Amino acid sequence: MKPIETDIINIVIAGTAGQGVITLKRLIEFAAQKSDVERVFGSEMHGLAQREGAITSHTRYQKKIFKDERRNLQSPLICYGDADLYICLEPVETLRRGIFASQKTTFVLNEYDIPGVMITADLEAYPQLDKIVEILKEYSNNVHTINATKICLNKLNSNLMVNIFMLGYAIPTGKIPFIDVGHYEEVIKDWLRDPDINIKALHLGIDEGKKVNYS
Amino acid sequence: MKSDRRFIDENGKVLMLGNEALVRGCLEAGVSYISQYPGTPTSDIGEYFHQVLRESPDLKEYLVHQWAVNEAVATSSCAGAAWTGVRAFNPMKHVGLNVASDALSVIALNGPNPGAMVIGVGSDPGSLGSHQEQNERFYAWMLHLPTIEPHTPQECKEWVKLAFDLSEKYDLVINLRTSTRSAHSRGFVELEPLIKGKGKGEFIRNIPKFNSLPPHAINNHVRLYERIERLRKAIPDLGLNKIYPGDNKIGIITSGMPFGYTMEALLQLQLYDVPILKLGMIYPLNYQEITNFIQDLEKIIIIEELEPFLEMKISEIAQIKKMNIEIIGSEYFPKFNEFSTGLVATTLANIFHKKPNEQMIKAIDYFNSYKEMIPSRFPTFCAGCPERATLYSILKATNQLENTVVCGDIGCYVMSFFPPQQCSDLIICMSGGLSAAIGMSTKTDQKVLAMIGDSTFFHTGLSPLAEAIGYNSNILLIIFDNAWTAMTGHQNDVLRYLINKDFSIEKVCKTWGVPWLRVEDSYNPKKLTKSIEDALNAKGLKVIIIKRECGLQAHRYRMKQIRRIESQGKKVQEEIYHITGCQMCHECSRILSCPAIRRVEIDGYETMQIDDDRCIRCGVCYQICPNGAIHKSTLNLLCEEVPFRH
Repeated sequence: MKPIETDIINIVIAGTAGQGVITLKRLIEFAAQKSDVERVFGSEMHGLAQREGAITSHTRYQKKIFKDERRNLQSPLICYGDADLYICLEPVETLRRGIFASQKTTFVLNEYDIPGVMITADLEAYPQLDKIVEILKEYSNNVHTINATKICLNKLNSNLMVNIFMLGYAIPTGKIPFIDVGHYEEVIKDWLRDPDINIKALHLGIDEGKKVNYS
Repeated sequence: MKSDRRFIDENGKVLMLGNEALVRGCLEAGVSYISQYPGTPTSDIGEYFHQVLRESPDLKEYLVHQWAVNEAVATSSCAGAAWTGVRAFNPMKHVGLNVASDALSVIALNGPNPGAMVIGVGSDPGSLGSHQEQNERFYAWMLHLPTIEPHTPQECKEWVKLAFDLSEKYDLVINLRTSTRSAHSRGFVELEPLIKGKGKGEFIRNIPKFNSLPPHAINNHVRLYERIERLRKAIPDLGLNKIYPGDNKIGIITSGMPFGYTMEALLQLQLYDVPILKLGMIYPLNYQEITNFIQDLEKIIIIEELEPFLEMKISEIAQIKKMNIEIIGSEYFPKFNEFSTGLVATTLANIFHKKPNEQMIKAIDYFNSYKEMIPSRFPTFCAGCPERATLYSILKATNQLENTVVCGDIGCYVMSFFPPQQCSDLIICMSGGLSAAIGMSTKTDQKVLAMIGDSTFFHTGLSPLAEAIGYNSNILLIIFDNAWTAMTGHQNDVLRYLINKDFSIEKVCKTWGVPWLRVEDSYNPKKLTKSIEDALNAKGLKVIIIKRECGLQAHRYRMKQIRRIESQGKKVQEEIYHITGCQMCHECSRILSCPAIRRVEIDGYETMQIDDDRCIRCGVCYQICPNGAIHKSTLNLLCEEVPFRH
């Protein structure tokens, strides 16, 4: 179903500290502002979560608001089962906060895993990637995986743009509606240190995303 | 990169976090003085003020921001400024209010006039960035701090301005209370013109007002009640409280972030007719306003996080006004942890006998069934952290804490208790570890060790150190002298000013006469381990200062130097650590536990591998590997060496 302008758009971004979860959330929000979205309200975590921890951020906006405030975006947190899009920068982090996803949610997932210290110490086990994808596919028909880290290392010689690449990869899903690609480019130029390589990562992602048959 | 004009422009619509909006509101209110000790979720407030002063240095004449050594100092500093007739802002985290409360109890009594004083308490339901959660709204009642709770960034900005006006008008200290969630959620804010604060004020002598001792203490208490009652009368005209009308006989009273969850939960449940009273000011309450809302209702649901404050105050009003109405809340909602739309929706479904939204139930059931297979990912020390390396030496020197108690404290090392190191037995509060160790060491023959960081040491650690010296307590105190308030994000705070003035912990210990003192470097783990062993074999107070800069900052600085040299077309000496012949003994992964080390499989054999991108070249793993499997090679041997600064 194509979103309409009064819909509340719900995007979950999950990953680990240092992967750029919060940066990605801000980019979408600032691009939404450039696209004249009427309301934005989303939560990000600071503090403890920085240090190797798990990070989830909620990006939410509404292109046109109702006069009746009871129908509008009011909370910076998405309700359980209400996400439209789930951008996952690390496989197991998808499952950790899965409760925000519904069976209609589109998942875009970076296959590259970042095991925590307990995995390295062999005191806990990291689930097989196939198993994670299987669990998601049993739940939703729209699960798309790609090794973004590998592509970024090969083509951009850095894994720092994995977040922007994954944004690009998610754009052709149509689940981040009412925001133009040009607006992302403007925001990248406004807010990021190396805009050229980030814009390159964005388009690399879009090109990969276009190859997918998103339903 | 474009410059950030959100604190400079005179008008427009911008996206801001709750905390950014608070700062903007202060600038639109003509704030003159800010003092705070950093703490989540309020640390970044000071960073934005510093950004403002960096961008507009001419403002320094009107606007002073100080990082205080602790919250009690910050609060009294703000009162001192306000008493010269200016507007003062005092942000703090929820537990900071505990530290500040001693000062605040008197300041609230005296009143901030002729100036104004607003405190910005960042609550933390869910303990998202703190060592505990508490409902500090009860201070509002105890100390008579009128408390305003914004929900959106726009409200943060609007209401902090209003708070200054109210503080000035009613001679009251106002609390603008956010939460971790509202402080760090982003939304649109309409900008209004900026107002410069007063450059200079003047203290005018008023002995009865500023000396709350008998007989003035009682008079000021009487005067405080008069001031609160005047404000209480004015509440309906302030525009802080808002009614969303509806025909349902069950109504809801809520405030702050839970209001947002409530609105969306009702939308999820398709309950469009429930009347809602959204309180912007949760203390004091205007009796008439409350009774007007509840008089035609049969039942009231109070939706609030943590201990039932509003439920108690509204029940009190219903009782005083002899109203026969059922008031519920805390028997249905949890009295702990943070709320969410999902939680409010499931609880309201239960109260209204509605079926909760199916996709929500499905999501909860489905993903909860896979909880067991998700490995933990708790916060931990960064790669190359000198504190992590210290814990390694503690574990080695004590044979994995045999017959040893480690009293932990607040700072990055608060994470010491996490596995696999598990090198902290208890946490109380800022400098509570050393204090606990003083008592404990008189009652046990176990080896008692306490840890404290430099920022915590200056916050409240000096006093228990003096006591430990006085009693010559049988304790080993380890002080992490990493030169930064690292946990809250390396603010350019008072600690940095002290360091720049060559004021050191070592000097304090020496002058005060610590009987057994050594200065060590945790990047030399074998020597440190030996020192800890020596200390634990000695009687009385022992202090080991770990002098090594925070790894994150040291690495950043070093990389900057390297980039500078390389930009001149020159090469630098480069160290690389790599693993061959790994015996999988897990010394590096379980006892040191550095996140730059990763377990991989190569050609069917398990081995540890060093992630070159994350390794900061501290060299600790290389020194501790019992099998000599970690090797160091140096590239560009003849080029310039860029060591860590010391």
